[in-house]
Amino acid sequence: MGRKYLIYYAIAHAEFRFPELQSISELFGFQVSLPDSEEDRDPTRPFMIVELDEDRHARLLAQRCILVKAIYELLGEGVTYEQLHASTKSNKSIWDKYQQNSFRFEVTAVNHTIPSERKVKIMEDFEYMEFQGPITLADASVVLTYFEEYPIKHTLRKRTEGDGDFDRAFFGRLIEEGACRSLKHKFDVKQRVYYGNTTMDAEISLLMANQALAAPGKLIYDPYCGTGSMLFTSAFFGAMVFGSDIDGRQMRGKNLNPPGIFQSADQYGVLNRILDCCTFDITRNPFRTGGILDAIVSDPPYGVRAGAKRLGRAKERPVPRAPLETYENTTSYVRKPYELGDLTADLVLLARYLLRPGGRLVWFLPTASEEYQDVDIPVCEGMELVANSEQNFGKWGRRLITMRKSTNCPEYPPPSFDPAYRMAELGDQATAPSGHRGFREKYFAGFKKIGDSSN
Amino acid sequence: MVRLITHNLLACHVRGCTTNNFPLAFKDVEIQLREAEFNQDFLRGFLPKLEWRALVDTAKSLNDQSLPDTPPAPEQMDTEFLKALHHVLLEIHVEEGAMVCANCGHVYPISNGIPNMLLQEHEL
Repeated sequence: MGRKYLIYYAIAHAEFRFPELQSISELFGFQVSLPDSEEDRDPTRPFMIVELDEDRHARLLAQRCILVKAIYELLGEGVTYEQLHASTKSNKSIWDKYQQNSFRFEVTAVNHTIPSERKVKIMEDFEYMEFQGPITLADASVVLTYFEEYPIKHTLRKRTEGDGDFDRAFFGRLIEEGACRSLKHKFDVKQRVYYGNTTMDAEISLLMANQALAAPGKLIYDPYCGTGSMLFTSAFFGAMVFGSDIDGRQMRGKNLNPPGIFQSADQYGVLNRILDCCTFDITRNPFRTGGILDAIVSDPPYGVRAGAKRLGRAKERPVPRAPLETYENTTSYVRKPYELGDLTADLVLLARYLLRPGGRLVWFLPTASEEYQDVDIPVCEGMELVANSEQNFGKWGRRLITMRKSTNCPEYPPPSFDPAYRMAELGDQATAPSGHRGFREKYFAGFKKIGDSSN
Repeated sequence: MVRLITHNLLACHVRGCTTNNFPLAFKDVEIQLREAEFNQDFLRGFLPKLEWRALVDTAKSLNDQSLPDTPPAPEQMDTEFLKALHHVLLEIHVEEGAMVCANCGHVYPISNGIPNMLLQEHEL
């Protein structure tokens, strides 16, 4: 039977909460039992009670989960003040071993401010715990925290209004504060020495590294690495990372030596974990073999800020048999647009080739919110869906898709990146209309329905 | 950058160039040696995917003779061997120069540690 722990969550990215919890517990190989009732699992609320085997697991969650603010050992809970104290008293066997420790008491609330007079009274009401150790504010060995959770009131009001009228109250012993705050600050794009206009924000790139189960001894690849934001967070968690991009200028920066992507890596102390960065088009890739990667993490270009391109000429015309003289030492390569529907299908097929069995593909799929359906996610034999979380921006959103290559599957051949292969592997899905096919056109048309001429 | 582990994964991919297109030969290289974290699990996990002959020959072409001509069996890999492998795979960085295909002669230039593996229109 596990012990109860209280997780205090940041109110952001609700749909990412469970996938992250699942990924981190899988990465370190332990179980997390979620509460039974739907209401107690509500990911838009700041608190959730889970069962874990030991404190160490709680610490691991706090250290890796980006959405976790802190984790406490649960000592009491209730929907009324009396209930909370009754529950705390009944849990005496959990807390009586700390009676002689140095300790500190915190009283706080979510969506509310408890007036200081009542704060003092609340602390005094816990007198029955008979804690006799010294009270130390700076480095107490036990930190006891009392929380009240209030409903969100979308009106202007005094922070102390409706005091005591809370939904739930919790009381716990702090196990560990989440590393999320400091990591978000550490990877803040604005503090980075080199970044571009498509650089992924810190929080999401950390979340993606978690979904990829980034850890020492692993090799992780981003085929659309751009300025490298995905590489840095995975490398920070100990993985070796490899990046490629069709546009070498994104990686290099203008007249930068060493290239910008290496300068940023150096800033984070992970330069040695960047295996390499190469300029190539993923549809014309030089990989000698597949089955080499533990994860692919990528935010593919979806044509709004950066247009997706692949090598080749858009319009058919006779191909010169030899390079034109002027090609020597220039960087002009013919490119053609790469439709997002084709790109995503190819990405999944490429992942199936390059990943080891059990390896993960973590990527963002932008979609028009009204048109999205679950069948939009390209699936093929050998790749299974693990998680699908939406970040909604109104008329469009992007979905963080986590897939896994099946563990007992044959070796797959390299994809050929042409319509026939997509059709053979994905069937109708290869060409079916979806919330992401033609995303660029939809975006710039303001996501109006075809034939809708209003405004 | 361009470490030998990367080099061991890259083959010439010019259209029609499908035989003798691996390994690419280093040319006019400028090399830096930089320390990397030693991780046994990473090395052991990657070993089955390496083309050993190509790795040994390439290391020799860069004046590193530390690897045996055939890799030892997994249970006989001692720390000394793994350290040598670690050094060859991860600590030798080709910063400038080129990689050349022995079959078709395509030159993949390396500048500031980033190789350019793009192809021209007639090679697609």
